[in-house]
Amino acid sequence: MTKPGLHVHRALMLCATIALLFAALVYTVYAANLIAFPYDYDQGEGFEVQDTALLSQFRLPYLDTETYPFYSSNYPPLFHMLAAPFVWFFGPAYWYGRLLGYAASLLISVVIAQAVYRDGHQNRWIALLAGLAFLSSNFVYHIGPLFRQNIMVVAFEALAVVLLARAFPRGDRRGIVLALFCLLCAGYTRQLAAITALAAFIWMFLRGPRRALLCAFGFGLAGGLVFLWLNLTSGGQWWTQAIVANVNDFLYDQAVGLFRLWFGLHGFLLVPAALLVMVELYADRLSIYSIWFLATAGLGGISAGTWGAGDSYLVPSIAAACILSGIFFSRMLANAWRPSRLLQALPLARIASLSLLLVPALYLGYARATLKMPTTGEFAAVAALLGVEKNVSFHTRQDEPGFYDSATWMAGGYARIGYLLTEADHAAGAQIVARIEQTDKPVLSEDAGFSIAAGRDVVTNPTQLRNLYLAGQFAGDELVRMIEYQEFGLIILRAQFFPPHILEAMGQAYVHSETIFMNGFDYLLLFPRPAYEPRVAS
Amino acid sequence: MVILGRQRFTVWAAESILRGMDAESAGITKRQLGLLLLVGGLVGFCAILAVDIVDVGREGGIGPAQTVALIAMALAALVGLSLLPLGDAPA
Repeated sequence: MTKPGLHVHRALMLCATIALLFAALVYTVYAANLIAFPYDYDQGEGFEVQDTALLSQFRLPYLDTETYPFYSSNYPPLFHMLAAPFVWFFGPAYWYGRLLGYAASLLISVVIAQAVYRDGHQNRWIALLAGLAFLSSNFVYHIGPLFRQNIMVVAFEALAVVLLARAFPRGDRRGIVLALFCLLCAGYTRQLAAITALAAFIWMFLRGPRRALLCAFGFGLAGGLVFLWLNLTSGGQWWTQAIVANVNDFLYDQAVGLFRLWFGLHGFLLVPAALLVMVELYADRLSIYSIWFLATAGLGGISAGTWGAGDSYLVPSIAAACILSGIFFSRMLANAWRPSRLLQALPLARIASLSLLLVPALYLGYARATLKMPTTGEFAAVAALLGVEKNVSFHTRQDEPGFYDSATWMAGGYARIGYLLTEADHAAGAQIVARIEQTDKPVLSEDAGFSIAAGRDVVTNPTQLRNLYLAGQFAGDELVRMIEYQEFGLIILRAQFFPPHILEAMGQAYVHSETIFMNGFDYLLLFPRPAYEPRVAS
Repeated sequence: MVILGRQRFTVWAAESILRGMDAESAGITKRQLGLLLLVGGLVGFCAILAVDIVDVGREGGIGPAQTVALIAMALAALVGLSLLPLGDAPA
C-alpha cells in the first residue's frame, strides 16, 4: 500500500473511532439519565429490585404465589446477590442495579478488546474498535443500564469464554477452573447461559474430549448441587418458579422479526464474523468464539421468539461477533493466516491492501447502522448535522422526547425504550406514589417501583402469575377473594399481564378513574367500585 | 447386504469418534466432526419429520418452525459431508 493509501486508512480509522466513541457517549448519557430515575423504566425492573431486597434479608425470592403477597421471582439469584449489599446502605433503589448493569457492559467491552488484541495479532486500534462496537449495538444500549440481569450474564459468559480460549488448550488448570466458575455464575445469573455453557463444552470436546468430559462432570456436579440446595431451601419453589414458569409459547413471527433486525443492525460485523467461522472450519481450527457465535446466534435467536423474550437474547451473539470480526480484520490487515491450501488459492496480499480501506469502512457502516440518539436538547445540533430526525413515537402525548433509533420499533420483542426521561416522567411517578400514600390499604401495582417508593408491600408479579397460570400452577383463589372484597386500596395497571380471571375480577370490583402517563406508558389507576357486592364467599 | 453395510458404517463411525476420545491431548479431527454433523443432521432431520408421524393428531402438517429446523438439520448434514475429505486435520 502506498503512503497516501496509509493516510486514507488512518483517516478512515479515526472517523470510525469518532463515530463509535459518539455511540458510547450517547450510551453513557442514557445510562446517567436512567440511573437518576427512581421508578420502572423497562417492565419488570421493580421486581428485580424486590428480589434484591429479599436477598439482602437472606430470604430467597422463590415463594408460594397462592398466598399474600402473591409474589415470586423467576430469575436465578446471583445478580440480585451482587446488588444486595447496596440495600444495606441505601435501601431498595434502582440506581445501583442500573450502575452495575452499565459497569458490566463496559467490562464486556474491555474483555472483547482484550480477546481481539490477544488473539488478533496485537492490533490495538482494531481491539479498541471491537470493544466500542459492542457498546454501539442497539440491543446492548437497550438493556445495559437497566436493573436487570440481562447484561450481567453476558459479562460472566464473555469472561468465561475468553479465559477458556487461552486456558484449555494450554491445560492451565487454574484458568479452566476460573472460567468454569464464571460459567456457573452466568448460569445462576440467567438461565439462558445454558447456551453458552453448551457451546463451551462442545468446543472443549473438539479440543480434548477426555478433559472436556471431566470438566463437564465437575461443572455438572457443582451446578447440580447449587440447584438442589436452592430447591430444598425454597421448599421446591425454585423448580416451579424459575424453571416451570419459564416455559413459554414460541412466537414464530417474533423470532423471525428479531433475526432480521439483528442482521440488519449488525450485518457489517456479522458477515466478517461468519467468514472467520468458515475459515476456521475449513482452513484452521474452530475457536471457542466461533462455536459461541453459532450457538448463541442459532439457539439464542430461537429462544428470542418465546413470549416475554426479546432482543436481549441475542446480545451474547453480538459479543461473539465483535470478537470474531475484530480478529478477522486484524488478520486481514496483517495478512497473517495459518498456512492452508484453501487460503493460498486466494489473493491474500491484495486482500490485505484492500482491507486497509475496507475495515474502517465496515466499522463506519456499522456505526451508522446502529445509530440511535436523542434528537432534541443538547443533541439537536448533532442530529441535524447527521440528518436524523425523531422516528419513534409513543403516540399518546405531544411533549414526548425526540429520539431516533435505526432499529425503529417495528419488530415484536424489540423493547420500545431508549429515549431519555424528562422532568414530566419524574413528576408522573411522584404523582402515582402520592395516590398510593392516600390509602392505608395494600396496593396492587403492576410495576413494583411505586410500592417500593411508598414503603409498601410489593404485591404480585403479573408476568409470573400469567406464566404459572398457563402452566397450570396458579389458581389465584385468595387473590381473587381479596380483589372481590376490595382489600386493595388501589390497583395500578400498565400492560395488564395478569391471568384473565384476575383481570376480570379487577374489572368487576374496581373502577378505572384516572390515567397517568409516565415513561411512554399509560398507567391505569383503579379504585374500589362504590357499593360493590363480592361475588365469592369470604 | 444393506444391514451389513449399515453395521460397517456404524462400527467405522464409532471407531473414528472413540479414537479421538482416547487421545490424551489430540482433539477431534475434521473428519470426525464431519461425521458427527452428518449423522446428527440426518438423525435430527428424520426425527423432526417423525414428529408428524408419531403425533398423528397434529393439524397443519409441517409448520414454519419445523421447516426452519429441517433446513438447519439438512445444512448441518451438508457441512458434515463437506468436512469428511479434510481428513485428520484438527477441528
